[in-house]
Amino acid sequence: MAIECLVLGAGQEVGKSCVVVTINDKKIMFDCGMHMGYLDHRRYPDFSLISKSGDFTNSLTCIVVTHFHLDHIGALPYFTEVCGYNGPIYMTYPTKALAPLMLEDYRKVMVDRRGEEEQFSSEQILECMKKVTAVDLKQTVQVDKDLQIRAYYAGHVLGAAMFYARVGDVAIVYTGDYNMTPDRHLGAAQIDRLQLDLVITESTYATTYRDSKYAREREFLKAVHKCVAGGGKVLIPTFALGRAQELCMLLDDYWERMNLKVPIYFSAGLTVQANMYYKMLINWTSQKVKDTYATRNAFDFKHVCSFDRSLINAPGPCVLFATPGMISGGFSLEVFKQWAPYEGNLVTLPGYCVAGTVGHRLMSAKTPAQINIDQDTQIDVRCQIHQLSFSPHTDAKGILDLVKFLSPKHVILVHGEKPKMATLKEKIQSQMGIQCFDPANNETVSIPSTHYVKAVASDALLQSSLSPNLKFIRKCSERGSDFGGLDARTKPGLKVFR
Amino acid sequence: METICTTDSNDMDEMRLLLRNVSKFCVRPSLLLTVLLGFTKDPYPNIREVALDGLVELSSCIVVEDQSLIEGCYFRAVELLFDCEDSVRRSAVCAVSEWGRLLVACNQDQSKKEWSDTVFVQLCSMVRDMDMKLRVVAFDALGKIRMVSEDILLQTLCKKALPATKEKTYCGQLTAKLLTLPASAAAFAFVHGLEDEFHEVRRSACRSLCMLTAVSAEFASEAVNILMDMLNDDSVVVRLQALETIHFMAISDHLKVEEAHLHMFLGTLLDRSDSIRSAARNTLQSIKLRNLAMFRLAIDALMKNLEFYPQDEADLFLVIFKLGRTHGKFVGSIIREVFQELEPSFEGKLAFDNARTVALLVLAISVPVSFERRICTVPPQTFSYAVIQLGRISRGLFDVVNQDTLLAYLSHCSRFSLVSDSEFFKGEEPALQLEKSDVLLCQKSNDTSEAHLTSPLLDSLANLHDRVTSCAKIVLRKISDIWRLIDLGCMGEVIQTLRSWKEELSKFTSDSPQTVGVLAFALQYIHVIKLLGKVWTRILSSRNLRYHGMGVLEVLLGKIDKRLQDMRYRFIGLSREEELHLLEIMLLSCVLRLSYLETCNLEASLKKICTISSRVENLCKEEAIELSNFILDLQKLLCEIGNSSDGVFENIYLLQKSLKSFSLRQIVLSGEIKHLEAELNVLDNDFQNPLPFISGLPVGIPFEITLYNLTSEKRLWLTMTVDGTSPQFVFLDLHEFEGCDEIRKFTFVAPFYGTPRVTYFSLKVCIAMECLSEDVQLFKDYEGPKPELSFLCKEIEVHLSTPVK
Repeated sequence: MAIECLVLGAGQEVGKSCVVVTINDKKIMFDCGMHMGYLDHRRYPDFSLISKSGDFTNSLTCIVVTHFHLDHIGALPYFTEVCGYNGPIYMTYPTKALAPLMLEDYRKVMVDRRGEEEQFSSEQILECMKKVTAVDLKQTVQVDKDLQIRAYYAGHVLGAAMFYARVGDVAIVYTGDYNMTPDRHLGAAQIDRLQLDLVITESTYATTYRDSKYAREREFLKAVHKCVAGGGKVLIPTFALGRAQELCMLLDDYWERMNLKVPIYFSAGLTVQANMYYKMLINWTSQKVKDTYATRNAFDFKHVCSFDRSLINAPGPCVLFATPGMISGGFSLEVFKQWAPYEGNLVTLPGYCVAGTVGHRLMSAKTPAQINIDQDTQIDVRCQIHQLSFSPHTDAKGILDLVKFLSPKHVILVHGEKPKMATLKEKIQSQMGIQCFDPANNETVSIPSTHYVKAVASDALLQSSLSPNLKFIRKCSERGSDFGGLDARTKPGLKVFR
Repeated sequence: METICTTDSNDMDEMRLLLRNVSKFCVRPSLLLTVLLGFTKDPYPNIREVALDGLVELSSCIVVEDQSLIEGCYFRAVELLFDCEDSVRRSAVCAVSEWGRLLVACNQDQSKKEWSDTVFVQLCSMVRDMDMKLRVVAFDALGKIRMVSEDILLQTLCKKALPATKEKTYCGQLTAKLLTLPASAAAFAFVHGLEDEFHEVRRSACRSLCMLTAVSAEFASEAVNILMDMLNDDSVVVRLQALETIHFMAISDHLKVEEAHLHMFLGTLLDRSDSIRSAARNTLQSIKLRNLAMFRLAIDALMKNLEFYPQDEADLFLVIFKLGRTHGKFVGSIIREVFQELEPSFEGKLAFDNARTVALLVLAISVPVSFERRICTVPPQTFSYAVIQLGRISRGLFDVVNQDTLLAYLSHCSRFSLVSDSEFFKGEEPALQLEKSDVLLCQKSNDTSEAHLTSPLLDSLANLHDRVTSCAKIVLRKISDIWRLIDLGCMGEVIQTLRSWKEELSKFTSDSPQTVGVLAFALQYIHVIKLLGKVWTRILSSRNLRYHGMGVLEVLLGKIDKRLQDMRYRFIGLSREEELHLLEIMLLSCVLRLSYLETCNLEASLKKICTISSRVENLCKEEAIELSNFILDLQKLLCEIGNSSDGVFENIYLLQKSLKSFSLRQIVLSGEIKHLEAELNVLDNDFQNPLPFISGLPVGIPFEITLYNLTSEKRLWLTMTVDGTSPQFVFLDLHEFEGCDEIRKFTFVAPFYGTPRVTYFSLKVCIAMECLSEDVQLFKDYEGPKPELSFLCKEIEVHLSTPVK
């Protein structure tokens, strides 16, 4: 008996997460993502490896999606509507609510702006979402007679979950993306100590050791405060969901405490809509948000107003949140063009920017710099640049902590860069003594599984094994000793006072 | 194989109940231990949990001398740290903490340290558990550990393995299968706790951090960085705990505040919550600011506090006054800058309705009483301005000084208004300096003593002798007020106050024998009260006394007894009231010893109590003084104990109850007190110039001895000790030496007989006096001193060596 793990995506790379696990003839697909870096066939996992015949409905037991990021869910409409999978799909409530938004947004960008061939239509997205069964945290779902799955809180983004799956005596956990330190708006990952044969974990920051989050927050607040105190404008390009709420909550608190009156703007669009979802899904946020919910909703930002294009060149300091995060186009690029030439202004950059975006070029540039947006436009960048190091992924210590806590028999690393994964794999094997794998795409890892055999014991044996039969494990070479049949009459070392 | 258990759930509930109440049944602990250990292996988690709880309970009421037994229980608990059930792991953390404590206690020196580190790292490895309550328990347990290596403490703040801890491993478990515990398991433990999602955990981590900053200064200086960030926390309890921790670090002198920290810290002065602002101010007064820029930041922040929250005014004035007092040299330059604001405007109006102006005035008037002996640089008219706002200011400074005294002080300081500003700024006004100690000492007092307090203060400045005595008397009178603070457990403030009084008193130098006596008495008395305060606070927090406090308590009580004995016998001219006062404290110390120290000799202590209390009764009868409640209670109790058949052991809790009625009476010095003192010296003797001796033969050592206030009836002895041997005594017959009782100076060659067979040795010599009292019988024919000895001088060392041929 063995567990077969077929890694269709995110093997030694980041993007198109997709792992198919076979336990006792049950085939579970964890995540069904797409790769944002490719436009050809490589953007989707190679589904043909699951079934030569293309009869996916019968060859897969179910699909489990951990969260709504495109590299975890992007291929789902394609798989269900184009490839014809018709079986059960599980995801958490927030993921089910937010996924169509993300998919639709992506479809629009691809088709309307870049004029590419449509991969799936809006109707197909809706059709696909109809097949989804939503699950709640810690709710055990009996998929069929043998297979159970259960979701655990993972932090990372709203609605992200780790999934526990069990077939007979074999149990595994697929973590998806997770965060072990809580931030302002989301909590830390939370899971029970389970008896596991296998943990499949992400390893985005396999070798990074991040400092205390307080230092990061302090740096960010200091930079922003300094800028607005000097009358400058702050541009914070972010993605609509997650970072925007996190940073906004941080600023809103700070504004409140420091009694600042400078306006904070949200560019309209996705962000405002996203805030609405956060307000509704309070149960999935951090403890602090839940605690304060009785008095006020933490996502009703006190100091935030919505932005109008006419305000771009209005005098006076302000803070603006604008999408998209890497200044790859859209509104954030428009504002950037206007604000970048002035020294008093500040632009923050997310921790990671895809090569080719303005954000990526700014990361390596030293101000003042000349940046070519396209052939005709060149921007003279003189503003301050602050790089954010907030990240919703756990770092190496967090991964090790989780593995230590779960203490599974085997670990598979996915969703990371190859050399870094190798380092982490080495560490898990040497420090924890747990066998660890880092398979590449389309490779299969086979793991022996536990199988309990029922044995019947005689009553006499049960009696004797239930009565105390003391034996300490010898821990410290010769110092430990055996205390079977210990008694005060023979042990003068034991005295009592009351 | 999965165990199939035959017990049904009903049985299990019964078993749980049984184990929960295990301490109520009279089961032999040896048997109980065996049973409990057995149940820690039970297949049902609830049973494992209560079995561990039982082990925790057992650990506090048995004495185990067998280390291997403790180790067995400890490692059993460690194994269960990796149980699948949250509740079992939680109980296991408690068990590891408690049995770990026993394990540490039964080891000595190096292995004690090693074990303490082991337990600490083992508990650190649990702070990343997913159960919130468990993390709270784990951090609470970490705070209980008193001895941790600095390396490991520093590792708890750093994520990467530090070089010092990289290779180290301990006995323990990292996971259910890994049976060694690397020191790096402690990595980042505290930061994880402080970053936790739940405020309960953050608070617990913060509190434990507070306890551990006392262990290592370097750890404290690292921890302060993250603690300052905790002031940004969204939970009020956490911010409050962080401030408390910083306050604790400041008191224990482990706080180094940088300018960068100050921004975050001073931000709390503007917090929305009253309690946070108040805690922040309280912390600020105990912080030492290193430079003018930092001091200015602090004052600015306090002013902002005043602006936004006018309701804090009274408290703010006090903090500004105290801060000014501790940073006198900075205040001058600040006042010079803002002096324009204080001056009346052109229309002759004073802007005094402005709170800021009043606050600046408070700052200004704190300078003359500054602890830093600097020449006053505040223009004297400021004091006149302050008089106008007397009511407002004195409301704030109520705790430090009363209104009358403040008025006297202000009018005294402003008397120099004839001196021009320029002269003041040059800093040539020493006259003010003289009085500051008086003002300081003249702190808030009871209404009764008010009337004659202010008069000696200002009028008797000319007579130094009177001044010193009156200062000392004022201090002694004040001490009874301090007792209330001690009773409340505010030891930090008490120690600060006593220390400042001590500093003030020790600044006086005087040759007059009376003054010397009074000063010495006052200093000794302050010391005794400080020790007593420490004992008292330890007992107040008596929950942990049994584990942590015993040794310390014994030492403290020992010191108190020694000091009291010294005070009783080394001062002559004590009035009956004074003697009574000392006797009452002695009684208190005996009762404390009897009721809290299990190691003390019951019979002897009880006898001592009886003797002292009868002496007290006699004294009271002679002087017609009422007995205090404490003594009355105690006497009643002694009767009961004498009558009952249970013996003292059963009545200890009664004794403890009698302590509640104790309160420190005011001590009023009446007579002229003389201090018995001696000086001992050997001319030209040090390590390089030793005296010659021939080993095995006696050697004569010429001592220069000066005795003060010792009448010739006193029986003095020279005690001479070589390391590790019993002392040799030489009797000093004072009749044989010239000089008067006040001062007697002579040279005396003392023989030392027991010269060891070495080429070099040093001899420790001291002068001791026999403590003769009514209740000690004297036997004339006894060689050497019989009663207890009181040492009159500091021990000196005499160096001897065989001459080199």
